[in-house]
Amino acid sequence: MNKSERFFRRYIFSIVSIIILFLFVNILLVASFFAAAYLGNVKNSNFPIEDFSNHITETNGQFNADIQAEDMLNNACAWAMILDENGNIIWEMNVPEELPRHYSTTDVAMFSRWYLNSYPVNIWNRQGSLLVVGFPQGYVTNYYTSIKTQYVRPIAFGFLAAVCINVLLMLYLFVRNAHRIEKAMEPILNGIRHLSSGHPVHLEENGELAEINAGLNKAGDYLLKKDNTRAEWIRGISHDIRTPLSMILGYASEIEETSSLPETTRKQAEIIRKHSEKLKNLVENLNLTTKLEYSMQPMQKQTLVPVELARQAVSEVLNDGLSDKYELELSEDNPGKAITITGDQSLLNRMLCNLIRNCIVHNPNGCRIQVSVGSCDRTCTFSVIDNGCGISEPQLNTLNNDRDISSTQKQTGEIEHGLGLKIVRQIVKIHQGTIQFSDTAPHGLSVEVVIPIEIY
Amino acid sequence: MNDKRILVVDDETDLLEMVKSIFTRAGFTQILTASSGEAALKMCEEQEPDMMILDVMMPGMDGFAALKELRKTSKIPVLMLTARGEAEDKFVGFENGADDYLLKPFLPKELLFRVQAILKRVYPEKERKVFFEAATVDLEKAIVQRSGENISLTAKEFQLFEKLYENQGRIVTTGALCQAICGDFWQGYESTLATHIRHLREKIEENPSKPVALVTIKGIGYRLNIKGVQT
Repeated sequence: MNKSERFFRRYIFSIVSIIILFLFVNILLVASFFAAAYLGNVKNSNFPIEDFSNHITETNGQFNADIQAEDMLNNACAWAMILDENGNIIWEMNVPEELPRHYSTTDVAMFSRWYLNSYPVNIWNRQGSLLVVGFPQGYVTNYYTSIKTQYVRPIAFGFLAAVCINVLLMLYLFVRNAHRIEKAMEPILNGIRHLSSGHPVHLEENGELAEINAGLNKAGDYLLKKDNTRAEWIRGISHDIRTPLSMILGYASEIEETSSLPETTRKQAEIIRKHSEKLKNLVENLNLTTKLEYSMQPMQKQTLVPVELARQAVSEVLNDGLSDKYELELSEDNPGKAITITGDQSLLNRMLCNLIRNCIVHNPNGCRIQVSVGSCDRTCTFSVIDNGCGISEPQLNTLNNDRDISSTQKQTGEIEHGLGLKIVRQIVKIHQGTIQFSDTAPHGLSVEVVIPIEIY
Repeated sequence: MNDKRILVVDDETDLLEMVKSIFTRAGFTQILTASSGEAALKMCEEQEPDMMILDVMMPGMDGFAALKELRKTSKIPVLMLTARGEAEDKFVGFENGADDYLLKPFLPKELLFRVQAILKRVYPEKERKVFFEAATVDLEKAIVQRSGENISLTAKEFQLFEKLYENQGRIVTTGALCQAICGDFWQGYESTLATHIRHLREKIEENPSKPVALVTIKGIGYRLNIKGVQT
């Protein structure tokens, strides 16, 4: 799963979390409401009618309400009356004048759950009589519902099911939307990925995101054009410089070797020749690094013997003439073990030569260079170790970071790790390998290149 | 070898002069020059050079076209000397019949070595003898002359010696020597090579246990140091 897929998964998870949170908060709110209602005595018009009834006592057919009953009634702005079995008022308190003093069975049945002349009422059955407590008009709302028992359970389940279906539907829609966005974004993200790895990109310029696609296509075309221009420029320059450089090299060598000429002139010619050779190497390095950078150099894969590769590189350096200040040795970590690798012979040879020459260039006072070849599991290791002056910690960090090595080159002309190591890193990369720079004790530099035996 | 006639073709007059100068200083006496593909073909017909050094990019007929045309009538060795260094260019050059391909800028010594190597291969000199402190190797007869007696070289020893002689004074890797005597599938023949080297040393060295002519470069290969050559 790549990063963008992870992002969308996280987005979906966050939506699910939001829904769960939403449900939880709602349940909490409803529960709080009911708790508050219960504690605040919202139910039953808030009037404690049973308690009130207990404060009315009957003595010899006479009803008396104590002071507490009176307070309760006054606090609720209510009135009360007690009806006997015939519907006559046998006790009353604050009963409005307009209300009748006798009630038929029908009247009692009508107001028992609803209203008595628009006064909301509560009733309480006392032994042999009926206590009626009335409230001011509009003070209490009475609503009477009835439902067949057989439907109670289905309705309860139906309500629960409706809540669940709503939640699931919401989830489905969220996930579907997230998928749609993911699908729409996928080509764009792939395009950005291609662009970042330097490959051309072409996206269909239609749909809602056509503008973004068009922008990416434009950016890709621009980068490609820029790369091509740069590659062409380097190729053109290096081509035009080749013939004049041949003549400088040729004549400088001729002057250097003409014994009849003064020593100073020959020395000067030697300097010209040496610098021309540096220019020649620079042109070759620039060309190769550009080709590798822009994948213009097709890899010539073949089966190779790593030890022989190292032998060729070491012998090449020795055959070119190596000062006595340097000691160059080759060793095998597993002598006699026949291993082969797949790779580009000339590129791998160039990699090893560059690493060896790097030791020579950076240790002008001489050093011992140890080249070794080993193998482990499905990898082959090339090590180039010197006991020279080594490099500083920041330089080492720079080399080990996957940054552009040439960018570390100083402007002062001081010898630095430049194109040679950049080419080495590029060659290692196209062989799907790794490179590690480290210090050697007590001083010196160690470079270890590990490449897979088989590359795809 | 220095009497071989070499034709150098390039549209850059200065470069022609320089190449001519390199060969003249090296002892070559017959250096011809031409500044176009057409002129080179005409000169080939008239002067019959032994070898051609040919540039690619020239006005009119370019080097590849000239080489293609030349191969219809001639088999002389051709070294392409060009600023075009793309792999594709090299393939075209070799497909058209080039014998070697050298990229500009070049070191004069490299050009000389390559031309001499081609000439040696195409026009082998008769009665070549290679001298060492203790013996002389006759390449024509494949024998070693030592203290008045002739010692034959086996086929493998001779192949080995030729490979080392071609690269005299330079290190030849173990793999390259194994390949010379065993072919492309040489891996695992290192001990066989060591045996042939030992036999060769017994024939050409004064003291085979302390070799001076055929020296071992530890872990890398061998180098042949000769005293002189007679052609």
